[in-house]
Amino acid sequence: MMLKALFIVVLAVALVTVSAIQAAPRLVMPETTFNFGYVPQNSKISHVFWLYSKGDDSVQILKVVPG
Amino acid sequence: MEIIFDTKHYTDKMSKRPTIQTNEGPPDKYVQIDCEVVRRPDSTYPIIIKPYKLDISQFGEKVRDQMKFTIMNVSDKPLALSTVGLPTDYITVTLPASVPAGKSVEGLIKLKPDALKKEFEKSLTIQLDDEKASRFTIPVKRSLRLPGDTTRAANEPVKTVDTK
Repeated sequence: MMLKALFIVVLAVALVTVSAIQAAPRLVMPETTFNFGYVPQNSKISHVFWLYSKGDDSVQILKVVPG
Repeated sequence: MEIIFDTKHYTDKMSKRPTIQTNEGPPDKYVQIDCEVVRRPDSTYPIIIKPYKLDISQFGEKVRDQMKFTIMNVSDKPLALSTVGLPTDYITVTLPASVPAGKSVEGLIKLKPDALKKEFEKSLTIQLDDEKASRFTIPVKRSLRLPGDTTRAANEPVKTVDTK
């Protein structure tokens, strides 16, 4: 009986550990490029790209490097 | 995520490719914007947009919430017009479906009620159905000077902040 309970506890811990290892953030961007075409000089233009978090864990944006 | 690009005095084709680093790990993600900065927007082809920048600023109490612009087809073929980029939180645009060869049509931008008390610099992108699927982007700017607003000098530029 004791052995059975221990087995269940070990199994539960193992399952939790495996699911924690598997939990991963996943960033999905349906659109990654945008062409503005012709634009005048001395103007500010803008476009919104949508970012979706589709993983098991939250996506954290650590840094955006202008390119 | 909003990408803002200042065309400054650039000329010809430009590409920008900001990289996004996340806790997802490598490889980094990126977005890319492309454009062709023109020095003479009053002589583009196959359409000419006038005015090529829309300034819907309000100086005073009289509410200014819309502005017309003209699209002139300087080619010998009719062109279909579609909107492919629009700051939907700020404006709506009314555009004819097409512009006949050699003719002009009128477009209209209208501020959304929530945008009336905001200052912004956004842009509107129109695509044609010509063989190149040409695109033209019209900058749209709004500044506010309401009576009694002494917090800013008259010639101080509008500050823009990345909000998304």
